[in-house]
Amino acid sequence: MQSWRRKSLWLALLASWLLILLGLFPLLRLAVPTSPRAGAPQGWPRWLDTELLQSFAKPGELLEDGPRPPQALRGGSCNWGACFDTSKCRGGGLKVFVYPAAGPVSETRRRILASVEGSRYHTLSAAEACLLLLLSPDTSTGERDPVPPQWDGGRNHLVLSLHPAPCPRTFQLGQAMVAEASPTVDTFRPGFDVALPLLPEAHPLRGGAPGQLRQHSPRPGVALLALAEDGGRWHVAGTDFSACPWDGRCEQDRGPKQTHPGATLPNATFCLIPGRGPDVLHFLQALQAGCIPVLLSPRWELPFSEVIDWTKAAIVADERLPLQVLTALQEMPLTRVLALRQQTQFLWDAYFSSVEKVIHTTLEIIQDRIFGPSAHPSLLWNSPPGAILALPTFSPSPSDFPFYHLQQGSRPLGRFSALIWGGALGQPPLKLIQAVAGSEHCAQILVLWSSEKPPPTRWPKTAVPLTVIDGHRKVSDRFFPYSAISTDAILSLDAHSSLSTSEVDFAFVVWQSFPERMVGFLTWSHFWDEARGGWGYTAKRTNEFSMVLTSAAFYHRYYHTLFTHALPKALRTLADEAPTCVDVLMNFLVASVTKLPPIKVPYGMWHQEARPPPLEPGGPGLRQEPQPAAQNCINQMAAGFGHMPLVSSRLRLDPVLFKDPVSVLRKKYRSLEKP
Amino acid sequence: MCASVKYNIRGPALIPRMKTKHRIYYITLFSIVLLGLIATGMFQFWPHSIESSSDWSVQKRSIRDVPVVRLPADSPVPERGDLSCRMHTCFDVYRCGFNPKNKIKVYIYSLKKYVDDAGVPVSSTISQEYNELLTAVADSDYYTEDIARACLFIPSIDLLNQNALRVKETAQALAQLSRWDRGTNHLLFNMLPGGPPDYNTALDVPRDRALLAGGGFSTWTYRQGYDVSIPVYSPLSAEVDLPEKGPGPRRYFLLSSQMALHPEYREELAALQARHGEAVLVLDKCTNLSEGIPAARKRCHKHQVFDYPQVLQEATFCVVLRGARLGQAVLSDVLRAGCIPVIIADSYILPFSEVLDWKRASVAVPEEKMSDVHSILQSIPQRQIEEMQRQARWFWEAYFQSIKAIALATLQIINDRIYPYAAISYEDWNDPPSVKWGSVSNPLFLPLIPPQSQGFTAIVLTYDRVESLFRVITEVSKVPSLSKLLVVWNNQNKNPPEDSLWPKIRVPLKVVRTAENKLSNRFFPYDEIETEAVLAIDDDIIMLTSDELQFGYEVWREFPDRLVGYPGRLHLWDHEMSKWKYESEWTNEVSMVLTGAAFYHKYFNYLYTYKMPGDIKNWVDAHMNCEDIAMNFLVANVTGKAVIKVTPRKKFKCPECTAIDGLSLDQTHMVERSECINKFASVFGTMPLKVVEHRADPVLYKDDFPEKLKSFPNIGSL
Repeated sequence: MQSWRRKSLWLALLASWLLILLGLFPLLRLAVPTSPRAGAPQGWPRWLDTELLQSFAKPGELLEDGPRPPQALRGGSCNWGACFDTSKCRGGGLKVFVYPAAGPVSETRRRILASVEGSRYHTLSAAEACLLLLLSPDTSTGERDPVPPQWDGGRNHLVLSLHPAPCPRTFQLGQAMVAEASPTVDTFRPGFDVALPLLPEAHPLRGGAPGQLRQHSPRPGVALLALAEDGGRWHVAGTDFSACPWDGRCEQDRGPKQTHPGATLPNATFCLIPGRGPDVLHFLQALQAGCIPVLLSPRWELPFSEVIDWTKAAIVADERLPLQVLTALQEMPLTRVLALRQQTQFLWDAYFSSVEKVIHTTLEIIQDRIFGPSAHPSLLWNSPPGAILALPTFSPSPSDFPFYHLQQGSRPLGRFSALIWGGALGQPPLKLIQAVAGSEHCAQILVLWSSEKPPPTRWPKTAVPLTVIDGHRKVSDRFFPYSAISTDAILSLDAHSSLSTSEVDFAFVVWQSFPERMVGFLTWSHFWDEARGGWGYTAKRTNEFSMVLTSAAFYHRYYHTLFTHALPKALRTLADEAPTCVDVLMNFLVASVTKLPPIKVPYGMWHQEARPPPLEPGGPGLRQEPQPAAQNCINQMAAGFGHMPLVSSRLRLDPVLFKDPVSVLRKKYRSLEKP
Repeated sequence: MCASVKYNIRGPALIPRMKTKHRIYYITLFSIVLLGLIATGMFQFWPHSIESSSDWSVQKRSIRDVPVVRLPADSPVPERGDLSCRMHTCFDVYRCGFNPKNKIKVYIYSLKKYVDDAGVPVSSTISQEYNELLTAVADSDYYTEDIARACLFIPSIDLLNQNALRVKETAQALAQLSRWDRGTNHLLFNMLPGGPPDYNTALDVPRDRALLAGGGFSTWTYRQGYDVSIPVYSPLSAEVDLPEKGPGPRRYFLLSSQMALHPEYREELAALQARHGEAVLVLDKCTNLSEGIPAARKRCHKHQVFDYPQVLQEATFCVVLRGARLGQAVLSDVLRAGCIPVIIADSYILPFSEVLDWKRASVAVPEEKMSDVHSILQSIPQRQIEEMQRQARWFWEAYFQSIKAIALATLQIINDRIYPYAAISYEDWNDPPSVKWGSVSNPLFLPLIPPQSQGFTAIVLTYDRVESLFRVITEVSKVPSLSKLLVVWNNQNKNPPEDSLWPKIRVPLKVVRTAENKLSNRFFPYDEIETEAVLAIDDDIIMLTSDELQFGYEVWREFPDRLVGYPGRLHLWDHEMSKWKYESEWTNEVSMVLTGAAFYHKYFNYLYTYKMPGDIKNWVDAHMNCEDIAMNFLVANVTGKAVIKVTPRKKFKCPECTAIDGLSLDQTHMVERSECINKFASVFGTMPLKVVEHRADPVLYKDDFPEKLKSFPNIGSL
């Protein structure tokens, strides 16, 4: 009895708790008003008869919406599929023909013509070309241009005009594409036209001024905002502004200001640019200065918007919400500010800093349309080094390039191919082959045999496959993208180079951490020679260096592709004529891509006693160029690149325990310890 | 354990106090409670057994009960769509001014049934999909009930299928909405635009300035940056269960599954099949199906019958041809099957093309080039094909799979236009989760060597070792590139020495007093730090020479996104214990540097203080240890790069203090440090540290070269 009572008591307690739990919650809900109006519908109703609702389309309606013949071309409107004939572009990719200029040409036009003609796309035959480029007449001359000879209704034509056209064109554009500086959004045809930046008159042809950003994060105390003013000036607003600095109505609230005379670059974190016509020039200025452009309801299409993701470098805001925009800028997380700032600099350097880059980018965009599925992925356009330097023909997968391993979460392949340039040597470099083949990371050895004598039939037995490629006599052939190269890393060697297995192993392990750079043993450094008024370089051992010799260096095989397919032919010819130049050229190329110095690893001094002095690494007969010619080469290269890309480094990467006072047995790379 | 014991004691203690006469009372109480329980249960659960959703705030009504609105024949009709509309001309952003957290507020008009003068309904009241769409919006963060605060308005008039409505009368219904105002800030959803015979590519209902989320826009009707192109929802997404099939080689190279194709296209496809044989499969409607089998789920080639959409999983590429309309529901099915759509529809604006990178998931072939389609596709390498297959499936999962996904993506796009500074990035839209996981976006990605002139700020964390501190200050002040010295005084019980007692140095010296003795004070982003480079140095590190510190700064300039430090450490995997181990012996590898002496970018201070994942920061402060390991984890995780150890190893010892090395040798200390590594690895969900075998020395270090000509001769002296 008692147990029953006990049980009932517990049950009662339990039940009352349940009751409270179940009963009280709804009561609480009722007690707390959830809506201002009692009985008003809350949210979207859950209909009692949801199950009975019909689908939006009748069964079969989605599958059969009535067949319809292919659409005829709509007059006036063009798109890529309808108005461009890609069949002409088979094979050689994009081939561009430029109509020669008739009569006197302005400086800007001359620069454009020069940059197209110097590009890898140029062809001299209009019949062979798949794109015909027509420079829009200068707005200053009021002459009526005749319709060009190959016009054909404008098909496969690109009408290029670096200034927005205020006056109607003298002939019908027909099916031609228009590449125009800051076109208005209303007339711009996305995916067909190309939006160009509005370039100042004095924009350099090549190279161009580097970005102004010297540090990643904004300097403390730098102004938050600069506002574009007429005449290329900037009005720097203080940080304590109270309201809309661009709105005439609150002019008096501008706060402390300094007005810079003339067209100077703004020094602020954000640059406010009103969206109307005359302010477009400011856009490039802000980009160069590393000042994040804040565009207020732009009426013009942003340059190269087809491929450039502007949300990573600029902010397109609504001019009608000044306070919100200002608050958002002030409160923007540091991480985003950093990312935007850096992206402005990357974009400026990659696509805008010279006329040549602007023109190449335009042609690259059109080539991407022709390539279709094998075009540049967005990543290649929007991260360093940019699409002009990342050739989509190399590989469809970004992880094959040396630049995107972080973004892709990938790493370079763990082996290397040794590429031995035979030079005019008659004997196989046995010692070198043994040393290299001894490396656990070596996948294959390729010998570029370029002597007139036939290669010997007997090669040393090695653990890795050894292939002899019959090379041509040209020095630039050592950087040809041979299909036999099966690894990401290449160890470039001369026949008389001297290396130990330890050195090779360590250098390769270092390269894996820096796959986009060159990792080498012997170095040169460049300097500005005041006396001669030009660049010079020296092989003397100094406290810094800026080039590594390709007679013994690791680098990514992508640089072979870039060397062969992206460099102007003139520069490669130069290297063939003066063979020491080829090292300079390769270093220029890599430095202009990475904007970083190469990496030096330790190199035993005992090698150097047994080899010719480092300035003649080409071996007997090949690189005995007199010094002045070699010095001249660096200046010709600098002219060809439009700037000096080399960057100096003051460090060498050594093994962690290098020459430390600890037992040699503990050290992994023991033979590097030799004095 | 304790709790259960307690209960056992309390039970018997209560019972003896009960009297028999109370029994009735208890029984009554029990009965009442029981009854109440049953009643509550009935009340609670009975109505909900009819409807599964038990949301209390939602009214339950029948569609048949919605109010009827009679539209007079002469009620106003909106203007036709304004083709020049852009966000900054036709959209009223002022209405979005109230919205907190950069999120637009969306109002949904309540459901009405519209009839004309004669009482004939204008359209069917609402379709299942539109109801789903409005439910999704109402359940999202965008929804507001307050019409006055809304920035975007969605009419409940169902416009998904133009064929299911009367154009003029629907327009009249739109025009009489309470906030219509020429359609400003109104968002209309439509999936099947146009009708026979013209099949316009945008909804024919006059809509003035209203935004249109339409399925099937062409370049001529789409207002770039204003309208939103959406997919045509495929009901098969919900009806059919189709398990995911990974990328890889498939039986057919190219497949066409559409039924109602124009004969011209069908001829082209037949020609393709004739040319390439087995690799190409062109399916059509089944003519001789027995009754009861839904025609939508079967496709035939000659007499062979295939299940649809399963057959799509057998093909690498699937043709999506234009029909009368540009937008085709088959696109959704194709993506779902992981088949790469081959879009043959000139001028079609692909769904969500404003944000989605369709090049990664599809191939567009101009209609004119249809006969070349095979060779175009053949040129795509296998690796890219697999990437595209994965991408196609991801697009379906994220943006096509349900009406809800379509609705939310549409609102997100509009939201991003209004709050561009809080917009979702390209990677967020396009990268599948697997890619997002593996990828690192270095916050200091720009290759840039900061100028030497900027110098660095030394931050010395100190508690009370004044003598040692003063020696460190004197030593560090000899470094040419030092621009400022910051002493973080972590002792609240003792005042820092008087100004006159501090060493006189050539750079500004600031003392910051902290509120609490915490290790994380060392990494606080003090306003006093003006340079990008920061040297964190303990108050007992007196053994580093000026050359070594200056060289360390030079190395940092070449690697501004890394930790550049002096003593290096390593983490190892202990196979016996199956966990990480901390190692401070002379090893050939390093993965960490101690922040007792390290250069780094000041941005990492910001990250350490405000963005450190999990409870690591508090954990470090509570244990008074491992702040350096935490910093190593943080930097490696965010940059994906290894540390740089500079200069040879030194004996970090000093006479009167427990230097880092002295302390590290302590066994318990090692155990604690190992614990830290394991703890942090679990918080980060991965082991971000990178192991390298190199350190940085001056170019001529230990070279046979005159010492006096070396820039940094005094390196490595003990």
